[in-house]
Amino acid sequence: MNISDLLSFLSEDRFIPELKAKTKSEALEELTDILVDANLIRNKHLILEMLHRRESVGSTGIGHGIAIPHGRTTAAPELIIVFGRSSSGIAWEAIDGKPVHLIFLVIAPPHEEDNQYLPMLGKLVEFLHDENNRNKLLEIKTFQEFEELIKA
Amino acid sequence: MNKNQLDLLVALQDIDLMLKELDDVKQLGFEVRTEGAEALQRAREELTQKIGKPLLGKYERLRARYKRAIVPVKGDTCLGCFMRLPTYLITHKDKHNQIITCEGCGRILYWLE
Ligand SMILES: [Zn+2]
Repeated sequence: MNISDLLSFLSEDRFIPELKAKTKSEALEELTDILVDANLIRNKHLILEMLHRRESVGSTGIGHGIAIPHGRTTAAPELIIVFGRSSSGIAWEAIDGKPVHLIFLVIAPPHEEDNQYLPMLGKLVEFLHDENNRNKLLEIKTFQEFEELIKA
Repeated sequence: MNKNQLDLLVALQDIDLMLKELDDVKQLGFEVRTEGAEALQRAREELTQKIGKPLLGKYERLRARYKRAIVPVKGDTCLGCFMRLPTYLITHKDKHNQIITCEGCGRILYWLE
């Protein structure tokens, strides 16, 4: 698996250059609402419950202004990724205590034939470890620029 | 939100899925606190108290047999056994709230649409 495979799961309608959310809870809801609007999920409460539960196990804020809330849920039809950015930053109880600016929501169904969920999560973590990539993600303005960065 | 038994079961299965992959996500570099994992077990206990005994028994039996007791329905197909479901189930008025099992594999159905 390659980081460019991310684009199979994240389309333009799942790209939010500026989140309205000011808190972690609002951000999780705003990112999940995208999937409701796209008719991908019918019960957002189940998804939010799972995401909050995951946060209670340990923050998905992995440091350097990044959060990757994630999990499998019976309510997810397929592997789905949503990107959201917050220029003001959101408190996420991240491991380095810093506010979060770049958020990737990753949800997956209970089972996929070609188990892409964990490898994709791994690739995403790897990609975001690179300071260069993080800086570019903070600067890009359009989904096309996002695509170019991921494909590069 | 007042939850029905099906939603409670789905939440239970979601906890079981999470418990199974805690080590995997930890290895990827995510924070998984020991107390967090214990709290997840407690949340599971609390949830099982809200689910009727016979239904919980059914869930555990199906889980032992198939790993996952609840399977999604996409279109008119059970994604557990890929059997096409009969029309009377597809048009069932209360399918999002009722416990409906697949006639092919016996698993509990979660309707994606
Ligand atoms: Zn079936």
